[in-house]
Amino acid sequence: MNLFVILIGMAFGFLIVASGLSSYTVIHDMLLLRGSDVFLLMGSSFAVAMLRRRKWKTPMAGELSLNQVPNERKHVFGGAIFGAGWATAGTCPGPAIGMTASGGLLGLVVMAGLGSGIILRNLVAGNIFSRRDPPLDQAQPATNS
Amino acid sequence: VELLPERLAWYIAGPLIGLLVVALYAVANKHLGVTTSYLQVMTFVKSPRTAEMWRVWLFAGLVGGSLIAAFLKGGPSPNFTYGALGNLLPIAAIVPVLFVGGMLMGFRARWGGGCTSGHGITGAAILSRGALVGIVTIMATAIGITLIVHLITGGRL
Repeated sequence: MNLFVILIGMAFGFLIVASGLSSYTVIHDMLLLRGSDVFLLMGSSFAVAMLRRRKWKTPMAGELSLNQVPNERKHVFGGAIFGAGWATAGTCPGPAIGMTASGGLLGLVVMAGLGSGIILRNLVAGNIFSRRDPPLDQAQPATNS
Repeated sequence: VELLPERLAWYIAGPLIGLLVVALYAVANKHLGVTTSYLQVMTFVKSPRTAEMWRVWLFAGLVGGSLIAAFLKGGPSPNFTYGALGNLLPIAAIVPVLFVGGMLMGFRARWGGGCTSGHGITGAAILSRGALVGIVTIMATAIGITLIVHLITGGRL
């Protein structure tokens, strides 16, 4: 299974860099509402990602389990914090990897910041380097990962 | 040699990224998102046996795939540029600014359980209410701040 996961990761990284999502300028222009193509990109991924049956026996990993989380205050306040960071850095966790790999070495600074933010959050929550997934993933069943 | 165009069109990249979400459900029944991979890579460095390996592999794949695309685009050329932000700020200022930007995202993504990919594409696609609210708030805040900064800096950023 891990081989497939590597391939999925590779395809994702490839597409992020190939489509320009790893570029500060592309993201910054999108946030300035200068073009619609990144919105269209996200919208079309979203639309295709919806293509799955509600009850789906996945080929390799059993019954599909989706974890729909209810709306909570943290999604609003947290979303605002993430949005502030996104607006500042003009990149987010996946594209920051692509930026660095493309030679934009300041992407490493963003990645270091991301790691620190994650650790800080876990320190605040009292479980550093916890195995526990955040709520979005919690209800997933154990699969032989 | 540049085998890839400057930017792959959205109508190719977008649907393919969507398919990756479905593919990860198909092979692993997992939810595609990047932030938790950062956590698991750090966990792996600290104590390899407690890490969730599939997330570490996903991260490794992201690095590998990004590098392949960079090579096909003519090779990664190491630089310290950062678009308009890099033109506006000296390197001594941009480093802390980017670090704090990253920190805000890391803190929040770990707290709220989603980043742009985890909430915006995967979470939204399963019609998770929290994720939908999350991505709408993320987008609205980021656009709002960017436009305000654009005005304050007289269009330089």
